Amino acid sequence: MQQFRWVGRPIPRLDALDKAVGRTKYPSDYYMDNMLWGKVLRSKYPHAKILSIDVSKALKHPGVVAVFTHKDIPNNRFGLFHKDRPVLCDDKVRYIGDPVALVAAETPEAAEDAANLIDVRYEPLPVVDDVFKAVEGDGAKVHERGNVARQTRITFGDVEEAFDNAEVIVENTYRTGAQIHAYLETEAGLSYIDEKGRITIVSCGQSPYRDKKEICETLALPEEKVRVIIPPVGGAFGGKDDISVQIFLALITLKTGRPAKMFLSREESTISSTKRHMAYITMKTAADKNGKLLANQTEIILDTGAYEGLGPAVLDVAIENCNGPYKIPNIDIKAKLVYTNNYFASAFRGFGAPQVMFAIESQVDAIAEKLGLDPIEIRLRNVVRRGDYGVFRNKIEGSVGIADALEKARMHELWLRRDDIRKTRHRPWIRQGVGVAAAVKGYTIGALPDKGVVGIELTTDGRFIIKLSSTEIGQGVVAAIAQIAADMLSCHLKNIEIKAADTSQTPDTSVTSASRQLYLAGNALRKASEEMIKKLITAFSIATGEPAYNASVSDGYVVSTSTGRRLSYSEAARILEEKGIGREAFGEYEVPRTTPIPGTLEIPHLFYMYAAAIAHVEVNILTGVVKVKKLVLLPDAGRVINPQTFTGQVEGAAAQGIGYAVLEDAKIEQGILRTINLSTYLIPSIKDAPAMEVIPIETTEDTGPLGAKGVGEIGIIPVAPAVANAIKHATGVRVLEVPITPERLYRRLKEAGQNTPR
Amino acid sequence: MRRRVVRFILNGEEVEVYVPPAFTLLEVLRDVLHLTGTKDGCSDGDCGACTVLLDGKAVHSCLTIMAQVEGREVTTVEGLAGDGEPDVVQKAYVETGAIQCGYCIPGFIMATKALLTANPSPSEDDILEALRGNLCRCTGYVKIVEAVKKAVEEAGR
Amino acid sequence: MNRLHDIEVYSPKTLEEALEILRREGDRVKVIAGGTDLIIQMKDGIMPRKNLLNIYSIDELRYIRMGNDSIRIGALTSFTDIASSALIRNYARILADAANTIGSIQIMNKASIGGNLVNASPAADSIPPLYVLDAVLVLRSVEGVREVPIQSFYRGYKKLDIRSDELLTEVRVRRMAEDEDGIFLKHGLRLGDAISVVNAALLVKWDGDDRFKDVKIALGAVAPTVVRARSCEEALTGKELNDSTIWDAASKVVNDISPIDDVRGTAEYRREMSVNLLYIGLWEIINKRNQAGW
Ligand SMILES: Cc1cc2nc3c(=O)[nH]c(=O)nc-3n(C[C@H](O)[C@H](O)[C@H](O)COP(=O)(O)OP(=O)(O)OC[C@H]3O[C@@H](n4cnc5c(N)ncnc54)[C@H](O)[C@@H]3O)c2cc1C
Repeated sequence: MQQFRWVGRPIPRLDALDKAVGRTKYPSDYYMDNMLWGKVLRSKYPHAKILSIDVSKALKHPGVVAVFTHKDIPNNRFGLFHKDRPVLCDDKVRYIGDPVALVAAETPEAAEDAANLIDVRYEPLPVVDDVFKAVEGDGAKVHERGNVARQTRITFGDVEEAFDNAEVIVENTYRTGAQIHAYLETEAGLSYIDEKGRITIVSCGQSPYRDKKEICETLALPEEKVRVIIPPVGGAFGGKDDISVQIFLALITLKTGRPAKMFLSREESTISSTKRHMAYITMKTAADKNGKLLANQTEIILDTGAYEGLGPAVLDVAIENCNGPYKIPNIDIKAKLVYTNNYFASAFRGFGAPQVMFAIESQVDAIAEKLGLDPIEIRLRNVVRRGDYGVFRNKIEGSVGIADALEKARMHELWLRRDDIRKTRHRPWIRQGVGVAAAVKGYTIGALPDKGVVGIELTTDGRFIIKLSSTEIGQGVVAAIAQIAADMLSCHLKNIEIKAADTSQTPDTSVTSASRQLYLAGNALRKASEEMIKKLITAFSIATGEPAYNASVSDGYVVSTSTGRRLSYSEAARILEEKGIGREAFGEYEVPRTTPIPGTLEIPHLFYMYAAAIAHVEVNILTGVVKVKKLVLLPDAGRVINPQTFTGQVEGAAAQGIGYAVLEDAKIEQGILRTINLSTYLIPSIKDAPAMEVIPIETTEDTGPLGAKGVGEIGIIPVAPAVANAIKHATGVRVLEVPITPERLYRRLKEAGQNTPR
Repeated sequence: MRRRVVRFILNGEEVEVYVPPAFTLLEVLRDVLHLTGTKDGCSDGDCGACTVLLDGKAVHSCLTIMAQVEGREVTTVEGLAGDGEPDVVQKAYVETGAIQCGYCIPGFIMATKALLTANPSPSEDDILEALRGNLCRCTGYVKIVEAVKKAVEEAGR
Repeated sequence: MNRLHDIEVYSPKTLEEALEILRREGDRVKVIAGGTDLIIQMKDGIMPRKNLLNIYSIDELRYIRMGNDSIRIGALTSFTDIASSALIRNYARILADAANTIGSIQIMNKASIGGNLVNASPAADSIPPLYVLDAVLVLRSVEGVREVPIQSFYRGYKKLDIRSDELLTEVRVRRMAEDEDGIFLKHGLRLGDAISVVNAALLVKWDGDDRFKDVKIALGAVAPTVVRARSCEEALTGKELNDSTIWDAASKVVNDISPIDDVRGTAEYRREMSVNLLYIGLWEIINKRNQAGW
């Protein structure tokens, strides 16, 4: 593999020091003189008709400057796929986080007190809290169009015939919970009118241009009147993909002319923010006697809650990946996206893949057990390899490292000691086990158009400013881009400055989502770099009279290969300026894509990331508590740009996987979320996170920037099934529902008679 | 509002604020003094992002009211570095790659600082106990533990 | 989550002043010690907004001292100080162990034992150990001093034997003897900071015969107040101890508790966990004695 000066090195992130000393300004850290505080009044009911909204008392409350309702919103429906979401509710409320009114006041307490003085009269409607009843459709409707937001069926081959010829068939129904992003910084932002008279929103988000578009459309504002800036954000994981405070902030500043701040409390954030889709998955999987997978019949129902959000795409990801990284000749997938009043589900790291991977990877383990096969062996007999045709009859052209990952897993000491570990009991009520799982997910937006631009400015002192609208949500994309840029532009890393995510200064680099921001921005950067290098060489030719083909760039200089003469980047900048050639270059990249197969939006993808994981668990059969002692992760994510960032992404995603697997239980009862803070919705603490070992499977993705692909999501996907398979190994009990909370597991152990200490 | 003067020492300097005495230290640091290095993750004591040192001990600034702060010494993440060099703990977090979104990090750094002051050579278990109240959603904690170990090493030099 | 912008705070420097304010203001003020319960409850509106009597700076209420036959703990003493006190570790270890599980280090640094007792959550972790250590609570007012045994202090869910002019100033616990052993058990839903789904303290006195001369068991989060598990205690005292007798005894706990469903667990689960936790505790205590070669 080609070696680079910067790429591939574990360089501490450029933004880390400012964060460590408390200097970085996050969306919640902005204040301004004369600033108002915004506070949203949210619904009292999961489902109700709004009869009237009386804001008169609130308006009279001391310190209140304005109160807004749906009447103030020119276009009160928005949404990325389907415009079904109101900015402020008008006819109905559809979940308890739904916004009904917005108060702007001089202090946060005045805003909050006034919100409580708004008199909303509701007529409660039956709560649609069960997807199956919702689908039947004879009860209440969440939206006029009916409760099924999207449905589709995809078949290849003939599953029934395959079932007839199978040696084993396993059929189960799986349920997965509503995971909450629980980023440490809740939704926040500040708005004001900038020096050019633009309504400027500095807020959380993942995609400034898309947020801007939604602000402009709902508030009927021209594009040039709005500016969106997304500073470093305190975690997102997909949860800041949808609009939260942005339109509210813009509205207050638009109507009052004053700066406004919003910062949601943890409770408000937990209630109102989007969640991971709850899923109900029935799978019937068949194999021959050698463990060759013959058929997989799947029915997926995703509960999208009150609005679609990115639900249609989440459903697509679930469909695309429900057969795992395997070649299965006969498949039949029925899938539905269903409205309920439970919450509002949208994007969450992995989209629909963690849900379906839990199902298929439990199925494959169960088949291996029935056939007496080693769980890794059966997977190796079925995985796709580069050049194979996938389940959708698509040729897999990108790099595929899953077989490699599984081979390495098979030789890992944790796997080799599996049976010894299982036999070890240091207390009569402790059981130990080791499980494995594989995972796959496409890492571009698939068959949907996806293109972006990156700009490079050469400064007069010979440094580069990279301009892009990627957002720094914690994943390190900005630092990774800097590393790539330093290599592409052949300069010292410290001479690269990144300007990110300000619609008035940076070009549109598409959305930060689907693990492909680095891939997309990196490729656009490559094009921009090529342009920039051409300009540098032009300057060299002008200065020296030597022909362009004689010159190349090297460590801050343009150098002649024949004469050895050189020109520094700063001199080149001066020449470009003088000659009016310009010191800027742009690169546009459009992610290659396929034509979607009928019935899907964006299946198949051209590029996939893969991973395998081994989990070592310790189960207390008297309490149901699962301690994940160790996780080994083997991600195939192409070339590693920065090992520190890379392993950090994988470890962080994996810890969210642990939460998903055993801890994070969003309890929703009749549309009311009961776990509204971090003492009842439990995310992993430092004592819950396992020891982790990340073993990168470095394949090179030829089309990626310097061989990189995406890594943001893959780490979470194999974790829940690996843990469930380890629990099965430890206790003999297979749990079909995540999270595998202590109470849930204890009940299953008891039903199976496996709760007696021995 | 019922305000009154509260005096205390903030990052080594005597300060006087005119605030409601039942405002929390977190509210005053952020909303009044705009010293935003101390983060507000939950205002419930569940996440540890708002951790500061009160007379040298790690406490939640969200669960401390100004009347309790009166006459005491408060150190925030800004005060660790001062104007000069970052503290060894801060450097260790940077160098080990323990910082992703970084919103939890000031809290972790303050909790780590308190740990190392009380116990310059903590065991792995001591580290986990000292940080069990600080939540991080990005890193999976692996590099945070490494950072603390590195800080222990560097401080011992 | 509204900011406490309209509240007066009295901050006396001495106990005497504090008691005087309490006499004068009575119900109109609320005591704040560490504030780890109070601030959240008041901001969330769970507790009525009142002016505050801030006792956080009354250092004379922070101490751990050896008394004649008891250990005396000032009400303001933090759980960090309790957990690290050699006196408590040597003579009331189960209390130190419980103190170590209270929230996080940040909580332990600020949370006081007095606050834990008066906040009176059924899940409070210091209370079961205090039950089995026969704690006595010292309540002071300008009128005088009352000493109340812990069990009669709690009269029902958050119903306490304390007057509005009284301050809890001290907690006294019995010293554990050489022939006594004990264990504190906490079952939370996470390995880090977590509130107890069930907690329990066991204190046993061995006789010369590998049997229990005396047993005290208290459980939390399974009734409106912490409760003693009298049925189990009885089933264990003086009996032969083996796997099946301790199971049987532990199973009797269901007679002593009345758990409810809440967001952390169902009543049914709490019942089962009570039994299982006691089994684990008894097993550990007996195992330790066997290991020690008795
Ligand atoms: C994140 C978090 C985690 C927690 N985890 C645990 C846990 O694991 N286990 C556990 O048991 N608790 C836990 N708690 C609860 C809390 O920390 C404890 O109950 C603590 O001991 C309360 O003490 P305090 O000094 O902070 O009391 P405060 O909040 O100051 O007061 C609590 C109550 O007691 C009254 N009061 C206090 N002192 C006196 C006195 N001397 N005389 C009369 N009345 C008084 C107050 O008026 C108030 O009603 C947790 C709390 C938080 C926020």
